[in-house]
Amino acid sequence: MATNGTSKTAVIRIQKFNPDKDKKPYLKEYTVTVTPDTTILDALEEIKATQDGTLTFRRSCRHAICGSCAMNVNGHNTLVCNQRVNAHLDKKGMITVRPLPYLPIVKDMVVDRTSFWDQYQRIKPWLVPPEDVPETEFRMTPEEVKALNDAEKCIMCGACYSACTVTAMNKSYIGPHALLKASLRIQDPRDSITDERLVEISGADGAYRCHTIFNCIDACPKNLNPTQAIETLRKLAQKRAAYVDARKERQKTL
Amino acid sequence: MTDTNVITHDVIVVGAGLAGTWAALAAGREGVTDIGVLSKLHPLRSHSGAAQGGIAAALNNVRPVADTGPRGPLEPIPVGDEPVDSWELHMFDTIKGSDWLGDQDAIEVLVKEAPEIIYEYEHMGCVFSRLPDGRIAQRRFGGHSAPRANYSADYTGHVLLHTIHEQALRHGVKFYPEWYCMDLIIEDNVCRGVVAMDVLTGKLYTMRAKAVMFGTGGYGRAWKITSNATANTGDGVAIAYNAGVPLMDMEFVQFHPTGLYGKGILMSEACRGEGGYLRNGDGDRFMEKYASGLMELAPRDLVSRSEQTEIEEGRGVGDDKQGIYLDMTHLGAEKILSRLPQVRELALEFLGVDIIHEPVPIQPTAHYSMGGIPANADGQVIADGDGTPVVGFYAAGECACVSVHGANRLGTNSLLGASLFGRRAGKSIAKFIKDGAELAPISGDPTQKHEARIQHLMSGPTDKKESVAQIAAELKETMTKNCGVFRTEERLQKALQDIKQLQERFKNARVMDTSRRFNTDLLGAIETEHLLTFSEVIVASGLNRQESRGAHFRTDFAKRDDEKWLKHTMAYKNGDDGPKLGYKSVNIDWEKYPPQERKY
Repeated sequence: MATNGTSKTAVIRIQKFNPDKDKKPYLKEYTVTVTPDTTILDALEEIKATQDGTLTFRRSCRHAICGSCAMNVNGHNTLVCNQRVNAHLDKKGMITVRPLPYLPIVKDMVVDRTSFWDQYQRIKPWLVPPEDVPETEFRMTPEEVKALNDAEKCIMCGACYSACTVTAMNKSYIGPHALLKASLRIQDPRDSITDERLVEISGADGAYRCHTIFNCIDACPKNLNPTQAIETLRKLAQKRAAYVDARKERQKTL
Repeated sequence: MTDTNVITHDVIVVGAGLAGTWAALAAGREGVTDIGVLSKLHPLRSHSGAAQGGIAAALNNVRPVADTGPRGPLEPIPVGDEPVDSWELHMFDTIKGSDWLGDQDAIEVLVKEAPEIIYEYEHMGCVFSRLPDGRIAQRRFGGHSAPRANYSADYTGHVLLHTIHEQALRHGVKFYPEWYCMDLIIEDNVCRGVVAMDVLTGKLYTMRAKAVMFGTGGYGRAWKITSNATANTGDGVAIAYNAGVPLMDMEFVQFHPTGLYGKGILMSEACRGEGGYLRNGDGDRFMEKYASGLMELAPRDLVSRSEQTEIEEGRGVGDDKQGIYLDMTHLGAEKILSRLPQVRELALEFLGVDIIHEPVPIQPTAHYSMGGIPANADGQVIADGDGTPVVGFYAAGECACVSVHGANRLGTNSLLGASLFGRRAGKSIAKFIKDGAELAPISGDPTQKHEARIQHLMSGPTDKKESVAQIAAELKETMTKNCGVFRTEERLQKALQDIKQLQERFKNARVMDTSRRFNTDLLGAIETEHLLTFSEVIVASGLNRQESRGAHFRTDFAKRDDEKWLKHTMAYKNGDDGPKLGYKSVNIDWEKYPPQERKY
C-alpha cells in the first residue's frame, strides 16, 4: 500500500532568505525521513514543524488545484504538492528547492507576484458578455468548449511566468499566463470585446514578444500549452477584422 | 488607536471564495462600492476552487434513459418534452439528505433560485461542459433523484471561482490578499469591524466597517485524514464564537466516502455519478447490503458508514485493510479522460494508480462542515435561538449554518449554497448600508490584545515549551479516532479530555519564527488555537446529542430520535468553561415534508 513501503533519509537543500536579516540568499540542508509516497510539500511541512519554523512557503490545497506552491526544484519550476521526493533525488540523495526565479523574494520560497497579477489584470481576464443575454444558457457547442479547456484549467501558479526568459528581462511583457487567459476570452463565443483584446495582445508587449523557447510548456504543472495559445493569438490577430465579424455573426445564434 | 493602523470601509468581507466574492460583487452591483475583501490567501487559492463534481440545479437538460434504473445512462431531453426534474424534487431530496434537520424555508430559497444562479454564472463566462445541442451538461450525484449536477468536467469549483473572481475585478472590488483576520469586534450586539494582520509586514490593523461579512470556509482541518486545504482551519467560526456569537450544529461534519487512501485528497463523487463502483476486499459491491436502491449513489453519510463497517468487519483493502476500492475500470478511457481528467491525475500522481485500468484505494475523509455561524437566508447572523440579529454581521458559505444542509449535505449543494447565499448576503448588506447604517465607535484599541498575543507566542522559552505542530497533530489524532464516522459516549469523552489538555498545553506553546515578515509559523499557531477552540464545541455538541442523525452517528444511540432531538444545537461561549448548549427549533412544513424514515 502506498502509505507504507521502505523509508529512507533524504537531504532537502533549501534556499533561505529573509531580507530583514540576511544580506543575501543562502542554501541550508535539512535531513528528513521519506517513504515512497512522501511529497516535496510533505517534506517541507515536516521540516517546518520539527526543525525550522522560520522556513516559509505558500501552500494550501495539497492537490495541484490552488496554485500556491509553485517553486523551483532542481532547476525546474513545478508545484511541490504533487511531486514525490523520491522522483527528484539526485545521485547524492538530495533535492534543491529554490523560490520561483526572476521574481523579488519576500521570504524564503515566498515571492512577490505583483507583476504577474498586474499582467493578468491588464488583459481583462473577465468575460464581457453581449448586451442581450438569453433567459437560459448561451448555446456553446462541445467543440467550442473544448477549444477553451486548456486555458480554463490554468491555476495561475506562476511556474510558466517565472520560467519565461522574456518576462525575466522585461516585466512589461504580458507573459504566458495572461496570454493563455486572453486566448480563452478571445476564443469564447460569448465575449463581445474581441477587437479590443486582439489589439491589446498584438501590441509591443503582446504575443509577438514571445521567443517561442517553450520554457512555459516545460514548466506548466498542468501540462498546458501557453506557446500554442500565443501562436493562435498571432494567427487571429493577423485576420482580426474577419475574426471580429465572424464573432458578431456567431453571437446571432448563441 | 492611531490613524496609522485604522482602515475604514463601508463593508468588510472576510474570505474570497465563492460566498465572500459573490457578496462583494452583489453589494457592489447594488451601488455599495466601498468594500474591502480580506483573504488569508490570494483569492484564487480559496478552497471553493477545489470542488470537483458539480453545482446543483434542476435545469432539465438531461434525463435517465427509460427503464434503465437509478444508475443507468442519461440522454438529453428533447426541447418540448416533459421535464423530469423540479425545484420540488430538489427540495425533497435536500430535506431527506439533511435527515430532516435542514430548515425547510431556507431550503426552498436554495432550490428555487438555483437555476437562475447557474445561468448567471454561464452569462459571466463560466465554461461548463455541454450537451451536443449547446445546453449545459448534467450528471447524477448521490442522494439526488434526478440528474441535476451541472459541471465542468471534474473541476467545477475551479471554473466557478475563477469566473466570480474575474467579475469582481471587473467591477473594481478591492481585495486585500494575504491579510489574516484575527478578531471580530462586536459591542452591545452591534458589529463594528475586525482586527486583521497584513501578513507581508506582520502589522495589525483595526478595520472599521458598517457591516462585516464572513465567508471564511469550513473546519475540516481538525481531522488527520481530510480532503480540506491547509487553510481550512475554521478561523471565522472560532473568531465569531470568541466574539460571543453562538455556533450551530457543529457536531455535524461530513465524511466524504472517497478520499485518496492515506492522503484524504478528494476523489470526486462524480466518479460514482459517472458509474463507478465501490468494492470491498472480497471484490463485492457491498452497497447492495446498505442501500440496494441507489447503491453507490446513496448520500455521503450512509456510504461512508457502509465503508467503515466493511473495514471494521475485516473486509477492507490494502496492507492494513483500512481502505476500500473505487472501481472505474468499466467506464472506459474516453469517458474518464473527458469527464474525470483531474481525479485520474490525482490517483496517478499520489498513489501511482491509473483508474482507467485499476481500482484505486480510498477511505472516508473529513470533508464538509454542516455546522457553523447561525445565519438566515439573507446572510444575517443571529445571536440566539429566537433569531435576534447581530446588527451588521453577515455570514454565508461553509462557515455559516443557514441551515440548508441539516445533518448531512448532498453533493453539489455546497457550491450552490455558497454562491446563492453569498449573493443574497451581498444584497441584504447593500440594503442595510443604503438604509442608513452608521459606523459604530470602537472602545479602546482592539489591536493591543492581539499584539500581546503575538508577543506571548514569540516570547522566550518556558520550562515546558510546547511545539504547536505537535499539539495540532495530537488534536487531529484524537478527532479522527474519537470523533469520526462512528461515535460513542466513551470516545467523545476521551476526545473532550484530550482537547482540554491540549488547550492547557497550548498556553506553553511558542513559535520558532520571531520575525514579523510573512510569518507563517505565527499564523500556524493562531490557526491551531482556532482548531482547539471549535473542536471542543464539536465534541461537546456531539456528546449531548444522544441520537444518530445524518453525519452524526452514535453507536450507543443508533436511532434518530425526533421526539427529543429534532432541533438545532446552539453552543454559546461560557468563559473558560466548556460551551453552554441551547437548542433552536427546525423550520418544518408539517403538511408537505413531515419527517419520514430515511431509506435509500
